[in-house]
Amino acid sequence: MADDAPKFEEALAELEGLVQRLEKGELPLEESLVAFERGVNLVRLLNERLAAVEQRVEVLLKTEAGRLIRRPLEDEEQ
Amino acid sequence: MLRSGRAPRILSVTELALLLRSALDSGVGTVWVAGEISNLKRPASGHLYFTLKDDQTQLSAVMFRSAAQVLVFQPADGMDVVVRARADLYPARGALQLYVESMEPRGLGALTLAFEQLKARLGAEGLFDETRKRPLPRWPRAVGIVTALHGAAIHDMRTVLGRRWAAATVVVRPVRVQGRGAAREIAAGIEDLNRLADVDVVIVGRGGGSLEDLWAFNEEVVARAIAASTVPVVSAVGHEVDFTIADFVADARAPTPSAAAALVVPDQAEVAGALARAEAGLRAALARRAGQARDRLRALDRRLADPARRLRDLTLRVDELGARAGRALTRRLAWDRRELASFGARLERTGPVARLRGASEQLDATVGRLRFAAAMRVRQARAALERTGAQLDALSPLACLERGYAIVRRGDAAGRVVSDAAALSVGETVTLVFARGRARARVEDTEG
Repeated sequence: MADDAPKFEEALAELEGLVQRLEKGELPLEESLVAFERGVNLVRLLNERLAAVEQRVEVLLKTEAGRLIRRPLEDEEQ
Repeated sequence: MLRSGRAPRILSVTELALLLRSALDSGVGTVWVAGEISNLKRPASGHLYFTLKDDQTQLSAVMFRSAAQVLVFQPADGMDVVVRARADLYPARGALQLYVESMEPRGLGALTLAFEQLKARLGAEGLFDETRKRPLPRWPRAVGIVTALHGAAIHDMRTVLGRRWAAATVVVRPVRVQGRGAAREIAAGIEDLNRLADVDVVIVGRGGGSLEDLWAFNEEVVARAIAASTVPVVSAVGHEVDFTIADFVADARAPTPSAAAALVVPDQAEVAGALARAEAGLRAALARRAGQARDRLRALDRRLADPARRLRDLTLRVDELGARAGRALTRRLAWDRRELASFGARLERTGPVARLRGASEQLDATVGRLRFAAAMRVRQARAALERTGAQLDALSPLACLERGYAIVRRGDAAGRVVSDAAALSVGETVTLVFARGRARARVEDTEG
């Protein structure tokens, strides 16, 4: 999920671009349809991403040797 | 001059010095002294040498490194201070010296002074410049947090982050946030989080407390770590009213830990709203675009229908012209007749009978010729009219089709019109367009 996150930004930018192009009404009808379908798909994808799951919380620890270790934070640790 | 009896005891210099030191120790001991620092020296050894003076007296003083290094503020010439010191003789030079164990600025508290000093120094270095502030990422993949693992601050931040943007991972680097060594841990925490590839922003902070509690965030090592961070750092120390050096160096300052969490991630409710608006925009734009296309299609369809309509218009116009021509001719004939009648009447009144008869015969002949000419003109006009109508009919493909001709198109009804059999090949599908309806046919044979 962490690696998907930048795609959210890109997908949102693409969606904004599609809406703008469609709203200008300059696209041929065929391309308008393609843009519309792509846009609706992006909306669905982004909404799914939004509905995402519980937040992942990790704790970053350092070994004596200075190595960093990430592991999920157990709630009882709080 | 020596006198007999008990001679006075003669001391060596060292013995005297020892005596003086002992007297100072028992007679003066450790005291608090107020004075102004001057002639301050700070050699590589880390000891501080200075003169403590007032308007009448000055005493030299030394503060050893072990004591000097725990000072939060920087002593400086001209500074009024209160020192806790022991007066002693420095035997090698025979000089009286104050051995300073601790030092406090006068007026301001030591921490306040230290704060002002560090702020001025780092500010002069440009560490607080607006131009150094980096924008926070809009969609951080992971949010790094440097704070205590236990406490209200981390709890508040986790709550806000989870509610606003669960998609971001939260990486907590637990540190002590107060007490000896806390500043160093906080600085190391910032550095460690900088080594994680997905951490796009770091929050450094803690909940409220006294000036002493918050002190770690006023230390230079933390300020330097924030300045050196490659990702933007948001400071969130204590409450709204608390300002720390960390706040000045950070890329953004949040009044509380909760506010810092809200600052670094988008709000998913807002994003969902934006998505809904984008979708509505898409639908509206597509509907508009489809509407445009439909209107354009209708206009084209009308233009396609036009030739047949023009033909009808022309036919009507010819009919109308024909009618007008007929009316004009009739009027002209009636006028000619009236002229003739009046001419006859004049003749009857004026001429003798014989002449009248002769004239009468002549008149009959003239009237006959006139009638004939008029009839001819009417016939000619009709013929011309019919010719024009026929030409128009011939021009109309509808009329042709009406007569049983058919238009052959290649392929479907949108194909090219075929006027040459050589253009067709055996087996090809053609469409026959009749006056009413059409048929598809296959070419069996062609003859050139």
